[in-house]
Amino acid sequence: MPTIDISLKDISKLVGKEVTRENLEPEALLWVKGEIDGEDGDTLKIDCKESNRPDLWSTEGMARALSPFYTKERGMRKYTAEPSEFYIHVDRTVDDVRPFITAAVITNLTITEDLLKQLIQLQEKVSMTFGRKRKTVGLGIYDNDKLTYPLAYKAYKPTELKYVPLGFTKEMTLKEVLEKHPKGIEYAHLLKGHERYPVIIDKNNIIASMPPITNSETTGKVTEKTKNLFLEVTGTNLEDCKVALNVMACALADRGGKIHSVTLDYGKEKILTPNFSPKRIKVKFEDIERITGLKLTLKELKELLERFCYDVKKAKDCLEVEYPSYRQDILHPVDVIEDILISYGFNNIEPVIPKIATRGELSEFELFCESLRNALPGLGAQELLNFTLTNKEVLFEKMNIKNYDCVEIANPVSSKWSCIRSSILPSLMEFLENNKTAEYPQQIYELGEIVIIDEKAETGSQTIKHLSWALADKEANFTRAKQVVDFILTGLGLKYETLEEENPIFISGRSAQILINGKKYGILGEINPQVLKNFSLEFPVCAFELNINDLYGLKLSL
Amino acid sequence: MQDLVRSLHPLERKVIPFLKNSILFEELLEKTKLQEAECMRAVQWLENKEVLKIKTDIKEEIILGSLGKKYLEEKLPERRLLEQLKKKKLSLQEIQLEEGEKNIAIGELKKKAAISMGKDIELTEQGRKLLEKEFLEEKLLKVLPKETKDLTEEEKLAFENLKKRKEIIQIEVIKTKTIILTDLGKKLIKEKLDFDLIETLTPDMLRQESWKGKQFRKYDVKINVPKTYGGRRQPYMEFLNKIKLQLVQLGFKEMNGPLIETEFYNFDVLFQPQDHPARTWTDTYHLKHPTHGKLLNDLVVNRVKIAHEEGGRTGSTGWGYKWDSEIAMQLMPRAHATAVSARQMVKGIEIPSKYFTISRVYRPDVLDATHLIEFNQLDGFVTDPSISFRTLLGMLKLFATEIAGAEEVKFFADYYPFTEPSVQISAKHPQLGWVELGGAGIFRPEITQTLNIDTPVMAWGLGIDRLAMFKLGIKDIRYLFSQDLKWLREPRVI
Repeated sequence: MPTIDISLKDISKLVGKEVTRENLEPEALLWVKGEIDGEDGDTLKIDCKESNRPDLWSTEGMARALSPFYTKERGMRKYTAEPSEFYIHVDRTVDDVRPFITAAVITNLTITEDLLKQLIQLQEKVSMTFGRKRKTVGLGIYDNDKLTYPLAYKAYKPTELKYVPLGFTKEMTLKEVLEKHPKGIEYAHLLKGHERYPVIIDKNNIIASMPPITNSETTGKVTEKTKNLFLEVTGTNLEDCKVALNVMACALADRGGKIHSVTLDYGKEKILTPNFSPKRIKVKFEDIERITGLKLTLKELKELLERFCYDVKKAKDCLEVEYPSYRQDILHPVDVIEDILISYGFNNIEPVIPKIATRGELSEFELFCESLRNALPGLGAQELLNFTLTNKEVLFEKMNIKNYDCVEIANPVSSKWSCIRSSILPSLMEFLENNKTAEYPQQIYELGEIVIIDEKAETGSQTIKHLSWALADKEANFTRAKQVVDFILTGLGLKYETLEEENPIFISGRSAQILINGKKYGILGEINPQVLKNFSLEFPVCAFELNINDLYGLKLSL
Repeated sequence: MQDLVRSLHPLERKVIPFLKNSILFEELLEKTKLQEAECMRAVQWLENKEVLKIKTDIKEEIILGSLGKKYLEEKLPERRLLEQLKKKKLSLQEIQLEEGEKNIAIGELKKKAAISMGKDIELTEQGRKLLEKEFLEEKLLKVLPKETKDLTEEEKLAFENLKKRKEIIQIEVIKTKTIILTDLGKKLIKEKLDFDLIETLTPDMLRQESWKGKQFRKYDVKINVPKTYGGRRQPYMEFLNKIKLQLVQLGFKEMNGPLIETEFYNFDVLFQPQDHPARTWTDTYHLKHPTHGKLLNDLVVNRVKIAHEEGGRTGSTGWGYKWDSEIAMQLMPRAHATAVSARQMVKGIEIPSKYFTISRVYRPDVLDATHLIEFNQLDGFVTDPSISFRTLLGMLKLFATEIAGAEEVKFFADYYPFTEPSVQISAKHPQLGWVELGGAGIFRPEITQTLNIDTPVMAWGLGIDRLAMFKLGIKDIRYLFSQDLKWLREPRVI
């Protein structure tokens, strides 16, 4: 999950106490589910495992969450937004493509290079992880003094308008930006197929940006000379847009910025953002005790929660708590209960060994498989464990098989691992190919999983177990293989017969199917010399493969 | 001496009568009428017994190659060209030689300064002299075969020349073995060897008791024997079986699931939202064929949908998006063993109960010494009304001591999409030090209550591969699925 660069000097200034690597590890870091991934002078790379809390993905956010650990600060930090004249008209044309926008204006900031770096880091992490790579949420930052209000959020046809995108000097149509600008190319898929593309445009018809692609070079560029910032968040879900905006606004407020609200006129209704009203949730005392396993007094609970930036409101039948508007991760009271536990400290809890009486057991089928696996080493066979991922060449082409069907991966990392095996014998042949320098005879087997296509099944396929055995030796022949089949099947008390069957894997006339009561349970034979050549083997090989699921079914029915 | 005589193998007995102070192996072979391999074995055994010594001489002999034999009769191409030029100068086309020989012959004669090349080819003064003289090469061909060490200076020159040309001469390496008796050997050949020793005890002998009163041939018990390999279980499988047994002893029941799963069981039942980054192509495999499965249990599907969209009866707000059954039907290779737990919970569970599975899972990664593309995950869950976070920590501590042999444990806050609270456990192993052992938590109510399970369910997953690598003594994780037969054949105790 997101990795954040944090300067110790910077975070110490924000917390108001000296923060060092030593006093961060391990307890303080656990509060933010952080793990130090690297260190470069004053900068720590912190891996934040909490993938649902964008408010933690910045120095400001970490400092805010950690302050109660280092100082006497308790409860929720209060943020306010000054009412203002800033106004955005939301045109209905955006409904089909990217319907929601939230915005804020920040003044009174001294913009330094460090602040800019932090701001861009947070913007990136929020858009990437919380915003699903800008799909559901994308953020933009602008020089507010270059915009003339009121603004409009409106969608236009791809060639209707022109502007100069960030980092360019020439005007381009919206369509050209998607084709030529690096961010346009990267994110074009988010707008593709839509008749109109969303744009933020000011009173003088100057385009500020095409969200969530890229800002304009003229108004959408923030430098150290910028005095006042305009923030906007666009997306597919209003709640997420509000949360992302509050995450950014609170971080800037922690840096001393003054926040001004923006009116968003959606036609039917007008909303003001950012809105810092806290969110509320009720947590039952009995649930707290049941889930934590701890008996905590109300006073203890209050302290634990306030150290975790909650405000405790009412505490009669249940605990009513308020939490910051930027938190989107609390879906259920258990989410608050986890915070109580983290605040308490996992390692301060005395573990209790559960006394739950149950009878352990291995699956019957697995035990059946184990009895077969244990039988074969007695005949001198070495057990193998192979990957189930393989490729068509090994599975079919090298095995001389023309018509085939198997599970195929859509996004393999390498073509070598692009299918799931539909039989085990190819795995054994490949193993023999990899071991030509080991001493012969080589007698090997594997009882493991394979997958066959079954369109009618719930998973479009069936996972079943097969047993395959092979012997590579100058005296490997049909008799040797049949002896082992006989050893296994008569060992299970089964009467079988072998019937000649043409199979391109085997030598013609030395290939058989294994039948029980007229039904096929497996194959047996001497490997065709062409197949041996395909696996560059210089010893004869005899082999068999049995369907263990079917044999187990048969055994159960006896 | 008597011991030595009794220990002689029948083959050795056949050889000894023909031995003398020094004899060529070829000669011995001929006299004994044994197969070459048999005779060689007997001689080697006798050498081990210090009865004789085998002296090997290597000589290199130059013999005629296939072209060499031909040229010995038809003369070398350069000689034939020289003779053709004797009468008149010739153009290239007029030369009567085979195509391949033409260039060689011209080249050779040019080297000897015997011809001059103009529009036509004609003999030089030197060339005319050579008409009367034999080339060094011709002289050499006549004296073959000859050993390289016996060559004269002139012959060496000719040899070097001919060596570069194809198939005129060949070098044959000839090994000759001379067998020389030691002092012990000289005594041995005077011994009487023709008394009756039993070589192999046969069923006939036992029936007829003909072994009585006879001596058995004595063996050299120190002799090296050819290696034999018994079959063994795969070491990682043995390790996993041991873990299974430990879990059964702790009261856990084994569960199973298919390798190919619908996203429904992989993610949706586990309350992972459909746009979660872990569900994207970079984090999980998707299938090209087949692409979609079926959602069979409408009741469960509908409740899962409601849980995702608005929480349903679970007291949750849900994720607040429109849940799509089409996405849930997509197939993928199982990405985590928790999918097996999901299947079991949908199938129905008893209360209390404890389940575990060791399941193969798939992750898009590059296969190397520290990463596998498919591996086994140990996962499970426990349900009982008495379960709390404290008992969860207690169970994890039990796992750490029982399964990993840990001395100390530490807990860390962590995030897993399907548990709340969640915890990660690190264990201090006596040899490995602190290792991350696994993750656990209490399944979110959005999962359990949706499936009508009203008691808390603690879910856990343990990373046992580092422990397995330690037990198996390997540094390369690929050896868990070893492709190396020599390594698999090594004896080890798991």
